Amino acid sequence: MRPPIEFLFPPEIGTELLYSFIIIFCSLMIYFKTKEAYELSSYKGIKYFRQAFLFFAIAYFFRYSILFFLMLFKINTIMEISPGFVGVISLFGFMYASSMAVFYLLYSMMWKKWNHSKTTIYLLNMIALVIALISILFRGNLMYLTINVLLLIFILFVLFFAYTDREKKKGKNLFVIYILLFIFWILNVVNILLPKFLQLYQLIIYLASISLFMIILYKVIEKIGN
Amino acid sequence: MVKREKLEIIRDILSIIEDNKNMIKITPLLRKSNLSSLRFKEYYKDLLEGQLVKEIIDKSENKHIILTEKGFAFLEKYKTIINFIDEFDL
Repeated sequence: MRPPIEFLFPPEIGTELLYSFIIIFCSLMIYFKTKEAYELSSYKGIKYFRQAFLFFAIAYFFRYSILFFLMLFKINTIMEISPGFVGVISLFGFMYASSMAVFYLLYSMMWKKWNHSKTTIYLLNMIALVIALISILFRGNLMYLTINVLLLIFILFVLFFAYTDREKKKGKNLFVIYILLFIFWILNVVNILLPKFLQLYQLIIYLASISLFMIILYKVIEKIGN
Repeated sequence: MVKREKLEIIRDILSIIEDNKNMIKITPLLRKSNLSSLRFKEYYKDLLEGQLVKEIIDKSENKHIILTEKGFAFLEKYKTIINFIDEFDL
């Protein structure tokens, strides 16, 4: 039998806690570092960029909660947890926040090209809500994979056309970073929904995700300063 | 909605005020900004709402426009903000 402290905090949770802490820290640093630039300029692109990282932080908080429950109660999916509403709220929050993070990051680059209006924001919120609802209502590996593959195809499609459409090719490195961030983010989501599916590659996904968030934080600090 | 070009125009208007010893009447500001009066009104409204400038009345009851602390901070940080926007393609 495990000692009480290990029952409450199994060793595997330490790794998850560290991983989540680093990503949440990077995301919140990006959010707060860009606060002054937004307050001075009221520039919409900066607003959406900040909101993307705030949602990444929220999503990682839910992500950690889900993994904490999975490990603590030795269950395979969050929906097995009792009482059921804990699982439903955690999964709903995670799927909604992670979809909004991805949408806001995409929108921060596309808002000038797309018709900028509040309707677009409402639409993105609606899509994120639908994704979250589907995730809790229609449980199943195939459904989870389909949602995420479709989301990834949509993101890559938008990014590809945004890049080929650009007059200046200055931000090529950033596009690569964003594409990798989106890919690893989707892998993170799949890893939560289907814990056994990517178990072998978990460490690679974690290290790559941390590196990408750190690169973005570094670039923000480099440009905005301390 | 603030776009990249709009930030440049805001910077230009604020610079005019700063170059004028941080006190200018609205008519010379409109003239120096090279904007149509309609566009100027839009920008001026945004500047007041964003608390980048404020209006003061002197002893002779004349209205002047001056930069606020936030207005000075905007001018100081303008290049940083533009570099950031360009870097992340925002």
